[in-house]
Amino acid sequence: MENVVELKGVTKAFKGFSVDDINLEVKRGFITGFVGANGAGKSTTIKMMMNLLKPDHGEVKVFGLDYKTNEKEIKERIGFVYDGNVFYEGLNLKDIKQIVAPAYKQWDDELFNYYIDRFDLPLNKAMKKLSKGMQMKASLAIALSHHAELIIMDEPTAGLDPIFRREFLDLLQELMIDSNRTIFFSSHITTDLDRIADYIAFIQDGELVVNQSIEEVAENYAIVKGELELLDQDTEKAFVEVRRASTGFEALTNNLKEVNDIFGDSVVIENATLEDIMYYLRKGGVHHV
Amino acid sequence: MFNLIRRDIILQKKMMLIFIPFILFFIIMDTTTTLTVLVASLFIPFNAFYYDEKAETNILLNSLPYTRKEIVASRYLGAVVYMVLAVGFTSLLLFVFNQSFSLDEIAIGSGMFLFFAALTFPIFYIFKPGYLMVVVFISFFTFLFIMENAIPYILENYTALAEYVMDLSTLEQYLVGSLTVMSFYMASWLASTIIYQRKAL
Repeated sequence: MENVVELKGVTKAFKGFSVDDINLEVKRGFITGFVGANGAGKSTTIKMMMNLLKPDHGEVKVFGLDYKTNEKEIKERIGFVYDGNVFYEGLNLKDIKQIVAPAYKQWDDELFNYYIDRFDLPLNKAMKKLSKGMQMKASLAIALSHHAELIIMDEPTAGLDPIFRREFLDLLQELMIDSNRTIFFSSHITTDLDRIADYIAFIQDGELVVNQSIEEVAENYAIVKGELELLDQDTEKAFVEVRRASTGFEALTNNLKEVNDIFGDSVVIENATLEDIMYYLRKGGVHHV
Repeated sequence: MFNLIRRDIILQKKMMLIFIPFILFFIIMDTTTTLTVLVASLFIPFNAFYYDEKAETNILLNSLPYTRKEIVASRYLGAVVYMVLAVGFTSLLLFVFNQSFSLDEIAIGSGMFLFFAALTFPIFYIFKPGYLMVVVFISFFTFLFIMENAIPYILENYTALAEYVMDLSTLEQYLVGSLTVMSFYMASWLASTIIYQRKAL
């Protein structure tokens, strides 16, 4: 399977924060959800994918190309949506389109007008006068109007009302009908990703701890509940993180098969949601997967 | 690249309305043509920095299919383009208001603009946004002050240099002047490109 984005050993250090040795693959034709708590390094990683930041070490490749030699070719094929409004806030959409459209060879006015209609966007109102949801729709309309193969979005659902969030997720699925298209989007709202992501990349404290398909995550990860006497030094190794209470233990495993082999029917096994995984990994000291 | 230069007009449509009375004020106040040309040239390029200094704008431009080299180049080329337009427009107004002006004054005004732009543009790429406009205003008046005082001082105290310049024919003076300004402008362009390419957005 072809990788649209490849990060190899990417490291970037700031004062008091760093992203360490990230190896990330984004598969062509799928939606990859990028999860992590606030401050885990999601935006930094996305900025490196967009060449807004240069890594201290490691390699970033998009469409198999290098930013050093093919910056424009790469960006022609990317549509971007950021957390906040990056467009001139004093301008209306009509003017913004006049600035953005000529930058892309493949800009499609008809498509743009289609999204303007579909999202009910006002063309003559200044960006700063639009609600947060409207600003996001406007960014999305712009991102979708040049037939981008890769759509990169940083926290697009943050600050949206639940109804538009649903509509937005439906729209993403609709976009995926084009099998050549890839979507990479970050979120700290895990239910969004449970719903539509094919692949999950999970970053925590600057380290990528999971990069698997949603099926693999479902096959490998589970919440295990059982009696305390079942735990000893050996059996505990099957878990990423164990929480004990007087009534028994609750643990997260990333190796469901091993848990089945060790405990059989003596424990209760439940599906782990992304939120469970995030929660357990956050609490735990064990980051290795 | 052309699109990046054209962007300033879209951004500054409303500012253009202030441009005319602004220049008229200088003409009616009977300021020297040199100063009027200088101020008129500054108008669009420096307003552009006011719009572009925001972090979001840098993220936008760099996410579009432009290289950082192009983004800086559009500023330096754009400044020349808008200077030529501003000079043309100012000359027209001077003509309409029946004020006499010489080519020398316009050349000196434009040269001063390019010189000032070369000095300040790299600052925009070095510092974080916020109070850049203040820095520019202060440096502008400092610059004017220096120009007004330093040049006569140099002419008085370095008579050899002054004589050398005076001995040149008009054509040679223009040539030496424009070459000096041009090389200074190019050096500034190069410096800005290097600074911007290293900048984290």
